[in-house]
Amino acid sequence: MVLEATMICIDNSEWMRNGDYAPSRFQAQADAVNLICGAKTQSNPENTVGILTMAGKGVRVLVTPTSDLGKILACMHGLEIGGEMNLASGIQVAQLALKHRQNKKQQQRIIVFCGSPIKHEKKLIEMIGRKLKKNSVALDIINFGEQDDGKIEKLEALLAAVNNNDTSHIVHVPTGSSALSDVLINTPIFTGDGEGGSGFAAAAAAAAAGGLSGFDFGVDPNLDPELALALRVSMEEERARQEAAAKKATEEAAKQEKGEGQPSGTQDAMMTERANVATSEVDNKDDENALLQQALAMSMDDPDSGHETRDTDMSDAAADDPELALALQLSVQDGTKDSSSQSDLSKLLADQSFVSSILASLPGVDPNDPSVKNLLDSIQSQTEVRASNLSSQQKNEEKEPKEDEK
Amino acid sequence: MACLHDHSCEDHDCSADWSLYKHIDISKVTALNEAVPGSVKSVFKAWEQRLSSSEEHLESNEGDPELLVFIPFTSDVKIKSISIVGGAGGTSPSKMRAFINRDGIDFSDAQSMQAIQEWDLAENLQGVLEYQTRYSKFQSVASITLHFPENFGGDTTQIQYIGLKGEATQLRRDVVATIVYELMPNPSDHKAQAEGGGGLSHVE
Repeated sequence: MVLEATMICIDNSEWMRNGDYAPSRFQAQADAVNLICGAKTQSNPENTVGILTMAGKGVRVLVTPTSDLGKILACMHGLEIGGEMNLASGIQVAQLALKHRQNKKQQQRIIVFCGSPIKHEKKLIEMIGRKLKKNSVALDIINFGEQDDGKIEKLEALLAAVNNNDTSHIVHVPTGSSALSDVLINTPIFTGDGEGGSGFAAAAAAAAAGGLSGFDFGVDPNLDPELALALRVSMEEERARQEAAAKKATEEAAKQEKGEGQPSGTQDAMMTERANVATSEVDNKDDENALLQQALAMSMDDPDSGHETRDTDMSDAAADDPELALALQLSVQDGTKDSSSQSDLSKLLADQSFVSSILASLPGVDPNDPSVKNLLDSIQSQTEVRASNLSSQQKNEEKEPKEDEK
Repeated sequence: MACLHDHSCEDHDCSADWSLYKHIDISKVTALNEAVPGSVKSVFKAWEQRLSSSEEHLESNEGDPELLVFIPFTSDVKIKSISIVGGAGGTSPSKMRAFINRDGIDFSDAQSMQAIQEWDLAENLQGVLEYQTRYSKFQSVASITLHFPENFGGDTTQIQYIGLKGEATQLRRDVVATIVYELMPNPSDHKAQAEGGGGLSHVE
């Protein structure tokens, strides 16, 4: 949303008749100019854009910086191709036009389309670049069309002379199937120095790419924020569920080695079931409550999953090195102290009254519903089983170091 | 710490004189040809800190000693004198030209326009020199632009401190703040006389 006055320098030299950009170089350039004008005026209503041509009989200003998009588009009609591009004069005239802009608060920017060979010396180009930098004018260079030796070098030198804190850019557009405008949309020339794409650019990108690319879930957050939010929330829930399921699978593999097997797995399953209960309620409530439940489910997931990943790591390491196994077990004894506090949390959650009070606050759940009651019973039994297994695990670990010492 | 006055600084608080920096609209201060954008804001500080070089200073681009500093004020001020502390090694500015109440001046304008006053500066690393203005011309200053065209031979020009001495008035030069346009007069806005019978008159 930077307040900017832009002058666009168009190359209408003989080299623009070539058809290597569809339909012709000049048409591709005109389309790109239209898009740029639209993007600039949309990103800030007070932005102004002007146009000048560099070839033909001489450098000619078609329209001085104005915010009237119609005037700009109208002047693009009836442009004639011919002559040779005069880059130095073009940039200098653009700088003069910007100097006399009406609103002195606007930042100055020049966008140059460079499609034909540059006949000036590199030194002259660099001097022009330095003068632009001195007067804090930013410069965007679009290099397309004819490539002769030295052109890229001169343009890079120009960019280096002008560039002040990355406000100036250069884009090289090779010939190919994609249009000039499509290539430009993804560049900083459109997206404006890392502020994030303007709405215009994003919408144009979506239209150009045929609808779905560029947005998550195929929905424009600008158009339908609630739908986009709901889609994102459900994606995260699904991912959390899948992660929990994956952890459960690795858990079972690990626990079978240690002889613990099911309880942690079902503990995990209980947690995911609770997450499922919570998430099934998402559809019935508004988004704010949904996110709250989501956060609750996630926080219940996290302490347990942290505990379980510690267990998995331990089992893998223990297989390799007995001394390492000893050290790990000593550290896990500290860990079980943590897990005992976590089991306090799960005890709290298993407390029938607490859980039923939470569930009562969910509008779609009736605590007297038999399926809910079954779930609560299973939760309670699981926590009892888990508590007993934790204590047995502690006993096992106390035994194993003694065995190792022997 | 020597002063231009012929008394010692303990009696007379010099820093109170150089307090116009408080009336500078710092967010709108700009400079042309500065190497680091935004570094110009660091040269406006209190008199006591004028020599502290810990913060960044204003430096021009390599090989180009010209600098242009635009200073807007929050209210109209009267400027009595200006003090400049430059950098060492020939990077201090050697000339200063001032323009009053014009914004949007760039280098070509500055070179062609007649300045309201010009000074030849000396290297003033200790910050003891001040340059007096023709006070009658600096009576209601809303913004001042300082142009430093040359330096003492260094590759760049460095400025550590710009001090302004003078008075601030409470006036503002840009007159029109809020205007209300009325398409039709609203009598309730124009109750000048006493209530009851003052506004209406009828012909019998």
